[in-house]
Amino acid sequence: MNTEVVIQTRNLTKIYRDFWGRKKVRALNSLTLDVRKGEVFGLLGPNGSGKTTSIKLMLGLLFPSEGEVSILGNPAGDVNTNERIGYLPEESYLYRFLNAEETLDFYGRLFNMPANVRRDRAKQLIERVGLQAARKRQLREYSKGMTRRIGLAQALINDPDLILLDEPTSGLDPIGSRDMKDLIVKLKEEGKTVLMCSHLLADVQDVCDRIAILDGGELKVFGRVDELLKEQDVTQIRASRLSEQAIKDVEAVLTKHGAKFEIDHPTTSLEDLFIKTVRESAARPGQRYVPPGTTPQPSKSN
Amino acid sequence: MLTFDQLPFDVVAGLLHWLGVCGALLVVILITTTAISLATMGLTGPLFVLQQLVAGATDFAKTSPRRVGALTVLAIREAFRKKTLYVFYVFLALFLFAGWFLPNSNEDPELRIREHVSFVLRTLSWVMLPVSLLLSCWSLPDDIKARSLHTVVTKPVRRNEIVFGRILGIGAVASLILFLVGGIGYIWIIRQLPPAAREMLTARVPIWVAPDPPDAKDEWSQRRFRFIGRDGKPEATGINTGDEYMFRSYIEGNSQARAIYRFERLTSRIPADTQEIELESAFQVFRIHKGNIERGIMCQFTLVNEAKKLRASLKPFEVREFRGNRIKIPRQLKDEDDKDVDLLRDLIADGTLEVHAQCITPGQYLGMARPDLFLRTPDRPFFVSYTKGVAGIWMMMVMLTVMGVMASCFAKGPVATLFTAAMWGFGRMAHNFMGELTGKIELAPGTTWQGGGPFESIWRIIAHITPSVPLEDSFGTRVVQFIDGGIIKLIAAVQYIIPDFRIFNLAEYVANGFDVPFDVALLRGLATTLGYAVPWIVVGYFSLKLRELEAK
Repeated sequence: MNTEVVIQTRNLTKIYRDFWGRKKVRALNSLTLDVRKGEVFGLLGPNGSGKTTSIKLMLGLLFPSEGEVSILGNPAGDVNTNERIGYLPEESYLYRFLNAEETLDFYGRLFNMPANVRRDRAKQLIERVGLQAARKRQLREYSKGMTRRIGLAQALINDPDLILLDEPTSGLDPIGSRDMKDLIVKLKEEGKTVLMCSHLLADVQDVCDRIAILDGGELKVFGRVDELLKEQDVTQIRASRLSEQAIKDVEAVLTKHGAKFEIDHPTTSLEDLFIKTVRESAARPGQRYVPPGTTPQPSKSN
Repeated sequence: MLTFDQLPFDVVAGLLHWLGVCGALLVVILITTTAISLATMGLTGPLFVLQQLVAGATDFAKTSPRRVGALTVLAIREAFRKKTLYVFYVFLALFLFAGWFLPNSNEDPELRIREHVSFVLRTLSWVMLPVSLLLSCWSLPDDIKARSLHTVVTKPVRRNEIVFGRILGIGAVASLILFLVGGIGYIWIIRQLPPAAREMLTARVPIWVAPDPPDAKDEWSQRRFRFIGRDGKPEATGINTGDEYMFRSYIEGNSQARAIYRFERLTSRIPADTQEIELESAFQVFRIHKGNIERGIMCQFTLVNEAKKLRASLKPFEVREFRGNRIKIPRQLKDEDDKDVDLLRDLIADGTLEVHAQCITPGQYLGMARPDLFLRTPDRPFFVSYTKGVAGIWMMMVMLTVMGVMASCFAKGPVATLFTAAMWGFGRMAHNFMGELTGKIELAPGTTWQGGGPFESIWRIIAHITPSVPLEDSFGTRVVQFIDGGIIKLIAAVQYIIPDFRIFNLAEYVANGFDVPFDVALLRGLATTLGYAVPWIVVGYFSLKLRELEAK
């Protein structure tokens, strides 16, 4: 485990005030956490728990009311630090009058990248997020999922060391969501640090090494995902193609040792079923589900 | 004719003045921010202020042209793709119907030129300035509201680069539109004017009498424009015929009264082989009695070289109401003793020529001001002065753009628009009043504002005391005048913050057929634009840097 700290917050507090300086809401209260190099870190919490506020404080978009935050060893918002950061906002707040190529070229210029590097990088990222066919269309014509993809591409334009993703799978269909998660895992494999915040627990569970759960602006739980989810007093045995007799033998052994148990066939996740169905449909177009007792009609070609 | 003096802009004096004002403002801002930081952050406050100043200097020093270029192109694309060019059609629509409302008689070509040129330049201003205002005041707040700016500021972009990018992008779009509509305006003038007026379109390049040197206030003979009274005694001004604002003063006919114009440095400006020079005048007629209304008032010029005691009188000529006169002076003249004198060799030998103007019709008056008489050098094409007139609008547009972007760095769109429009309005309309109130502008030569400041004025209204009557010396008077003194000092300070937008209005030169002088008008405009743009950019930078972009 790499112990180099990439993000560090100490007693980070944010209080929103009204025009007269009166306290309106304490959005974040004394958050202290470290995010280490090379890990995927998840910030979890219900709506209004302070996840996005935390990210915005880390990026210097908001100023802390108390406490401090450092990113890659520098104060938040430092221009030199931003060279190594990629940020995907909650909504992809991009310039809707630009097309995908122009968008990536624009953000590439902000990193002082030469024209040929920008061109290559934009082409590579557009392919990576699967927007080749729509690369000349203005973003105003994009669906939400496409906007998230181009948003992700702009966050990766500088090949950043630290990537902050605010609700990365929000608005994506299950396949897009899976692609996004695969990409996060790949980024981790490339040695990058990813901090993501989400309220989609399954997504976080799939990709995060460590998580922090926030509620009401306060840190409630913090640690490794596998350790936090492990039920120490439950033992799971998985086996394939067991005969009826073998199942009875296992039951007998468990009964003999006085264990409380249940034996059942596990179910797959709905996400897995959906992805399997869509992939099979792509592989064999024209195949349809026909309800039992009905006669299949031939497909009409367009 | 022009109704203001041509005062050349002194770059060195202007720069020193600018440094003084900026320095004073900086000191005030530093003291205020340090006090606020001490109150809010304790002893670390001044350190924070210092850190911000150092960071600011670093940011400006490390400005990346590529990033500024990217942000400029972004602003240009935004303006075009949001259909800003539609303003072009508004301009076209105005021109389609403009002919209905402008005078269309052929009787007075000069009037037609004046009306058409003024109309075009005024329309250009009124169409272009709101475009600059709205683009500059709404662009950044829209980005902040839509949070697009979040994806920019989380890149290695310095806040000054954002400010520069907006100014350059919006400025480029507005300049392009101005170029297009300015071109259409020019073609419209040329095609709309009748042939007689079209032939008169020109840009005269006058040699005016230079302003008096600062130390000539009390020395009559040092003045370049001065008067002799009806009794032959030296006077600073002529007779006031009743105008409160006495730009022109009058000389009485058939008396010793005369106005003296002294042209200097002519040797370098008039070629040695010139065979004649042209004097053009535009004096005002003031009739004490109707007289022969069909005839004008007679005037005579005498060319004088005091050093050589040479005087050559020219043939009298008739001055008509609201008409100019052009007189060609031949190289060979006769002096008072009927001896031959050479205009260049004898009269302008030392580069100086004095022209004495006299009214010779008994009982009538001629009104004269410094710009009413000038020597003409070869004209320039009308296109040159028109382009310079448009350049004045361009500079005003740049000023509005920079001010709008600055305001949008700390305020939302509507507030920034209101702020910028108010500054523009004050700068156009209130500057003269502020100048008069603070005594920097004379109402008439030697006459400044009377009646005190606002509180003294209120007191005078209540007590029915006219402004010219001094108040009695009492404690109440001293209190009122003390408060007014403070207010007037505040107004004097505000004068430096609000730019004088009138200096960008060069239409009067163009419409009256004059070339726009570089040192008097263009250089002043450029220096003013630059002088205000620099501090405004700095204010915009710090406003954007020290604000939370995530509005709640």
